[in-house]
Formats: sequence, structure tokens, C-alpha cells
Amino acid sequence: MATKRVLIIEDDQWFLSLVKKTLEREKFAVVTANNTIEGMAEINKEVPDAIILDFFMPGPNALVLLHELQSYGDTAKVPVVLCTNNASDIPKESISSYGVVSILDKATMHPNDVAAAVRKAL
Amino acid sequence: MEGSKQQTNRLEGAVPTAPSFVTAAHELKSPLALVRQLALHLESGEVSSNELQEIAHRITLTSERALRLTTDITKSSRLEDSLFSLEPLNPIVLCQEVVDEMKPLYAAHGRTIMLTSRARSLLALANRDLLRRILLNFADNALHYSGEGPVTITASLRDGGSCIRLGVRDYGPALPSTMRKNVGQKSANVHSRPESSGLGVYIARQFADAMHATIGATSHRDGATFYVDIGTSSQMRLL
Repeated sequence: MATKRVLIIEDDQWFLSLVKKTLEREKFAVVTANNTIEGMAEINKEVPDAIILDFFMPGPNALVLLHELQSYGDTAKVPVVLCTNNASDIPKESISSYGVVSILDKATMHPNDVAAAVRKAL
Repeated sequence: MEGSKQQTNRLEGAVPTAPSFVTAAHELKSPLALVRQLALHLESGEVSSNELQEIAHRITLTSERALRLTTDITKSSRLEDSLFSLEPLNPIVLCQEVVDEMKPLYAAHGRTIMLTSRARSLLALANRDLLRRILLNFADNALHYSGEGPVTITASLRDGGSCIRLGVRDYGPALPSTMRKNVGQKSANVHSRPESSGLGVYIARQFADAMHATIGATSHRDGATFYVDIGTSSQMRLL
């Protein structure tokens, strides 16, 4: 089976490196971006199999990226795992139409939850 | 995605003038969640000795950041009951102390912070602790909410020598004009950057008020400067 490519968009460098290590240990090919603009550039290079997305970042927030993803046929179906400190404030019903398959709370999740969420989405 | 959308985004989520307990809790959640994730990685046992040292260092720096915030919140809540003495001090020396204090945190993020000042011997009238906390606050804000460029602390004389401006210049997204005006206003919503709760700027403004100083922000094409204006001291001339 071909290696699945996961894009992590996260502005906290230390959290990003933890998630990256966990996914690489689970044999995913990982690319990273520090904000949504960089994330879109990575997606334009090659559409990933899944996206791990923080909500609030410098510049446009996750909603802007989710809108963009829905605007194109090849990106609309990419599963997105939201990984945020504000999980309890995000209305899950309204965000599910944006391709968000799960929402992880950074405060309560276990590092392995990210890999499990990605595996479940693929 | 750029332009107007970015501007709109930076205006979203304004918070009330006085941040609530919920705002403070949210602000503290971020470093605490990171400390927990770092600790869970240590617990997993799947780290090399080099990684172990690096993660331990990150836990130290992140918990220090959270502690700095809790101290600021505590101090801020007691401001009305306290009197703060103003003393003549050299702001350049204080700025250098802030740079030295923040350097390890910046270095751990692969970033740099430095002091640039053309003025050599300035004398300000301020409360050392409050001024230091304002600058630490701005420097922390610049690290976490700006781009990858270096952060510089600047000191300059203004208004014909009656005022000293200490600024923290970053290279993040530019601030929209409404937000720029709001930074120093009591009645307006306070917001440093849309992805932050604004608590840091609110506390900085309270500290500034307590020593008759003002804070503000200047937008640049490629970033922003958050500054505090303090009065100069004429004490030496009186001696």
C-alpha cells in the first residue's frame, strides 16, 4: 500500500514537531506548514491524503482554508482533522460540511490520537 | 486568501474590555496543553537522550511562560489597591535585561530578539517591574503571533525629549487600523492579534496606566510595533 501523505498546518512549532514525529512513527509521509497560506501552497504542490489543522493561527484562520478546500473538486474530499485548544467552542454540526472528520482537543488528547484519527479518516 | 479576507480575519473575535476568567483560562490553556503533550512524549519512552534533553528544556520554557502570565494576571487584579513608586531608570539597560531574559525562549524557537537604540543615555521615570512586564508581554506576543523574522526592541526620544518610546517590532501580518487605535483605549475592545485573546495587551495597558504611561501599536507593511510611551526624568538636573 502506498504511503499516505499527511499535511500538518500548525503555528506552534513544538506541538507541530510532536505530531510530526508521531505520524512518521506510524509510517505516514508528513509535510508541514506554519499557517494557512503556507498550507495552501503545500496543497497546490500536491493534494495530501489528509490534513491536520489548527484553528487559530497568524493570518487567516482554519475557516478560510476550509472554505478554499471546498471550492475545488480535488480538495473538497480531503479529510480534515481539527486539532485545537478551542475544541469545545467549535460547533461540530456546522463544521462537518467542511470535510472535518474529527476535532481533537490539544488539552485532553493523547499524542497517538492524531494517528488514530487520520487512520480512521482514510 | 490574502487582502480583505486576511483583514477580516484579524478583526474577528474581539473580546470585552476587561477579559474574563474564561479569557484568562483560555490563555493559560495553550502552554499547559503543550506541557502535557511534551510530558506524554517523555512518558512514552520513545525518545533519544538528545530528544529527552530538548523536550525537558521546552517544558521548562513553556511552564515559565505560563507562570509569567499567572503572575501578570495576579498583579493586574491587585493594581487598584496598590501604589507604585516611580523611579528614574535607564530604559536601555532595562530593555537589554528583557532581551537577555527572552533570548533562551526565542533561541529555542529558532528566533532572535535584539535591542537597537541610537540613544545612549536616556533617563525615564517609571516603575521598573511594571515596565519590564509590559516589555516581556510585548516580546512574548511578538514571538507567538508574528512571522519568522527577528524581533527588535527599540528605544527613542519623542516630543522634544519629554517622552521615551520603547517599542517591540515584529514581522507578522500588519495590524488593521481599527485594531491599532484600540490598543491604547480603555473603552474599546482590546485585541493584539485575532488568534490571541487580547489578555496580554489588556494587562500591559493596565500596567501602563498604573505608572501614567500609555501603550499603542503602529502597523507596518510587514508587521507591527507595540510600544509604551513613558515620561523622561529630570531628576539628575535637580540634584
